[in-house]
Amino acid sequence: MTAIDLAQVAKDDQLPTLELHLTRPDVVRYSGASTDFNPIHYSDRVAKQIGLPGVVVHGMWTMGAALRIVTDWVGDPARVSSYFVRFVNPVPVPDDDLGTTVQVEARVSSVADGVATIAIEATHDGDKVLGAAKATVRLD
Amino acid sequence: MPISAEHVGRVYPATKPYRVSRAKIAEFAIALGDDNPAYFDDECPIAPPTFAAVIAAQAWAAIFDDPDLGMALRRTIHADQRFDIVRPLREGDDVVATLTIEKVRSRGNVDMVTIGVVLATAAGEELGTATSQLIHTREEGVS
Repeated sequence: MTAIDLAQVAKDDQLPTLELHLTRPDVVRYSGASTDFNPIHYSDRVAKQIGLPGVVVHGMWTMGAALRIVTDWVGDPARVSSYFVRFVNPVPVPDDDLGTTVQVEARVSSVADGVATIAIEATHDGDKVLGAAKATVRLD
Repeated sequence: MPISAEHVGRVYPATKPYRVSRAKIAEFAIALGDDNPAYFDDECPIAPPTFAAVIAAQAWAAIFDDPDLGMALRRTIHADQRFDIVRPLREGDDVVATLTIEKVRSRGNVDMVTIGVVLATAAGEELGTATSQLIHTREEGVS
């Protein structure tokens, strides 16, 4: 499943945008899958005690889910050779059926020696949630 | 006694081997909402790149258990995360994680601590590194 012609990848290529939709059950599911049971990911009471508006999703969920913009595009996730993000703002997830959405955009910032560097932006309600996010993928 | 630049270079014993299973890979990929076929392969599924954090986090316990550092998880924020991948984790890997304190900068009662966790198979094949910057606030009265 190669989604793109790797030989044609060039600087400034835009990747197809990605919308990450999530609700409380998704946050609970990630707690279980990751074994990160910090109560700020299930208890509004504990989250509010440390100044958050309520339950927030794991930064590692946002990091992992946002990488799909790269892996959907390149096809094979084994091509990813590095990935960095800074956790800039938390993503609160309301206790309702609507949930919330994170928007992800990405573009190729450089291609050199068979490696493409992808700059990734993730925003929630207009606020950046990941900072300086970038992944490298092997093209050869 | 709190953590300081003196602790840079401290290496902790490797964690017990973690066996990567196809059930856990599938559970993790589904939790990310990611249906990439590589994670659900019938022959040998690979794990999503950020799955490395699940194993690396087991090594984090070492710094919170080290009485020399005075660190507590509840006063710690995960500020950034990096993965350098040699090859994907895959079903059947027995993975051990070794944590090194790489950098410490302190300002007031806040410590910025960079930790590097090297993942390797129990047989010694290097798989990659998970590097994290943690922002730690010291307990009141400790400086």
